[in-house]
Amino acid sequence: MLSTHGPEVRLTVQGHRAFLPVVTAAVEKASLAFGMDEPESLALTLATEEIFAYLCSSHPGESPIEIRCTRGPYYVQEEVLFRDRELSMRAFNLTACPVLDEAGVCEETGLLIASRMVDQFRMARDEAGFHLTLIKEKSYPVFGASVVEAPRLEKYSVRAPDPEEIKLLVRLTHHYHPTLLLPPAFSFPGKVVDMAAGGHICALVAADSAAHVGGGIFWREAGSGMIELFGPYLFDQRPDSGIGSALVDGCIGAIARTDATGLLCRYPSPDLPSEYFEDLGNLSYREKDGTDVEVGAYFRLLHEDPGSMVWTHPSLESFLAREYRRLVLAREVRVATWEGEAASPFSVLLAEFDRSRGHVTLRPVWWGDDSEDTVRGYVDILTKEGIPGVFFEMDLGRPWHGHFTPALLRNGFEPRLLLPYGGRGDVVVFQHMPDRPLP
Amino acid sequence: MTSFSVQELLPDYIKRFEAYIPSKPDPELMKLYGCSRLYRLNNNENPLGPPPAAQEVLRNWPTVQAAKYPSGDAYYLRQALGARFGKDADRFLVGNGANEVISFVIKAFCESGDNIVTADRTFAVYEWIAQFSGFEARLVPLRDYAFDDQGMLERMDARTKIVFICNPNNPTGTYWNRDKLCSFLDAVAGKRVVVADEAYCEFVESEDYPDSMTLMDEYPNLIVFRTFSKMYGLAGLRIGYLAGDSEVVDAVRRTCVVYSVNTMAQEAALAALGDDEHIFRTRQMVREGKEFLRKELNRLGLPFIAGEGNFVMIRLPMSDTLAYRKLMTHGVMVRAMTGFRCPNHIRVTVSTMDAMDAFVEAMEKTLASETSNKRRAGAVAVENR
Repeated sequence: MLSTHGPEVRLTVQGHRAFLPVVTAAVEKASLAFGMDEPESLALTLATEEIFAYLCSSHPGESPIEIRCTRGPYYVQEEVLFRDRELSMRAFNLTACPVLDEAGVCEETGLLIASRMVDQFRMARDEAGFHLTLIKEKSYPVFGASVVEAPRLEKYSVRAPDPEEIKLLVRLTHHYHPTLLLPPAFSFPGKVVDMAAGGHICALVAADSAAHVGGGIFWREAGSGMIELFGPYLFDQRPDSGIGSALVDGCIGAIARTDATGLLCRYPSPDLPSEYFEDLGNLSYREKDGTDVEVGAYFRLLHEDPGSMVWTHPSLESFLAREYRRLVLAREVRVATWEGEAASPFSVLLAEFDRSRGHVTLRPVWWGDDSEDTVRGYVDILTKEGIPGVFFEMDLGRPWHGHFTPALLRNGFEPRLLLPYGGRGDVVVFQHMPDRPLP
Repeated sequence: MTSFSVQELLPDYIKRFEAYIPSKPDPELMKLYGCSRLYRLNNNENPLGPPPAAQEVLRNWPTVQAAKYPSGDAYYLRQALGARFGKDADRFLVGNGANEVISFVIKAFCESGDNIVTADRTFAVYEWIAQFSGFEARLVPLRDYAFDDQGMLERMDARTKIVFICNPNNPTGTYWNRDKLCSFLDAVAGKRVVVADEAYCEFVESEDYPDSMTLMDEYPNLIVFRTFSKMYGLAGLRIGYLAGDSEVVDAVRRTCVVYSVNTMAQEAALAALGDDEHIFRTRQMVREGKEFLRKELNRLGLPFIAGEGNFVMIRLPMSDTLAYRKLMTHGVMVRAMTGFRCPNHIRVTVSTMDAMDAFVEAMEKTLASETSNKRRAGAVAVENR
């Protein structure tokens, strides 16, 4: 069955290799029709081929597999839905120890290949079965046009920028601010325009009546009700201009009556007005020249905190007590224990790469008996890949996440900061700090 | 189990909408924040409670009455309102708090494609009800903390059905005087419904505040909202009303949910209505409290706006949601104003002197702890360099 609903193509087939050419042809043609260039379309098609082949070989059966391709403003999204509840999610670990088939071929590396061919790869499991999401972004030219210097503004107003102003803003931020503090998408002004048009990023500009731009601010949804703020970026304006505060006021005004719970700034510009934010703590990053820098993370809640309950492993209690006291957050902290109950033999982590900044964030998907080996395996692989920043996000709203704590602490991770309501509950961000002594 | 996807049935405007989450009951909050007493300075409630006559009604209320349905249209209360304001009782509609009458008016006048116009930093419920009913809410920025008449006129178009003016404005306490309201009504020229939400009118002492109950005879498109929740101390019983031209009220009545106001609320409101002594005592308390706050806020160096109404809006050198949490640990609950699009501001209900003292003391501690945190952060930054 092949059907289309607006910018969407749906295909439902049996999980049998005979349908492989049908599936790959549908994904290829759909992504091209959605405006993707051939190299990106080919990458998405190959990723689909690997996933479909894996599903057919590992769990052949009559269960239907549904593929949905959707056009996004700057990407094509492919969703793969199937009902098999027994699929080993372990195959999605970067560290998965491959099982060789009769011909000596690793049948699970295909999934890893697939996950690396796309820009985002997510998976979820619920009552209905598995849900894999692949996102492949369109290609955009890197900006190269010369930048006009920004004049100092005497009078300004804060308003939404038009597409040309967005591109100018992006160029000016690169001109005036270090790359480490900018979102990776800012290397492609056209992409930021498409993101804004699709509602994937929002922006405000401070400009005078002659449309001279003095500064700007960006924000986007970061999941779980969190909004991530970028900026405010000021371009050589007077320190007492008030532009930074006006931009932050505008951003907060735009999101104050949405379902957002918090505003997070992980890469603050020097122009961030500190009186609007709470200091969450620092994370360490490595600049391209090898210098290590500490960058503060800032946050504000967008509503009155009603208090909540969180789960933790005992070894994290003192960190949480200190941070909750410092941040004045009313929390009932409960200890989640593992008391010998049966667990999965395998644990699963998903890795999100930010190659432009040289860091990776690990998030738990499944906890199992091999958690220590899994964490160590990730550290080894990422260290070999030369990735200097390895982070782990633990959601205190999910009791089982806490089971990873001993494995993290024994493998050189350290709790660095607490992000209120960053997930189902508060989130603790660990950073791999190999040179620090074990706690 | 049958599969059911709620999302597929929800209209887009509901998917986008944020559900309002009321704060937890006081005992739960006190437990979480570790405080032994709590001054509620967040909802502009009257700490003196209802007028004595209303308290008497509540004390002696015959419980057997709970088994009977209330008067479906608050018959006796509307008669009393008519007598008090010299109008026919049918020109009044009583609702389960003013929030309900806002909903009646929007339902009566708006259809698909219509919009309402109001301010960006005002009582949120006009905007909320319009949006979750599928209508656009056009928000005009305040000018000098007040409703911008010219800006609102410019935002109106052929699909604008209702203009909401909060007078005096919650949270800034600014108000339109008689001349300004009349000029605005003249400019609107009877083409749209103009709602004057006068939830705080009984607190206003300025002489040029408009008498909307009289103006509606001259301007039949003017609807007035009032409530028993603020001055009359009946917030827990949920009762408010609207008044307007007979034909307008007759139209709104078609969308009105009858029997939504309980008997106890109707009887308490009826008893409260004529108690001008209660108004006098409350105004005196508010006057003293504001004077005290003015002096103390100046001493603390905190900018504030103390207009009409039983509240003061204060600008803080820190996040208002953080200040809310810190003040809660000292047993003082204020309103963080981010949700009103006023980040780094709090709104404080003017209350009895013991509550005002507690607030100032807690505010001082909050500011001191913030200063010391900033100093510590500064020292760390210097060390890192």
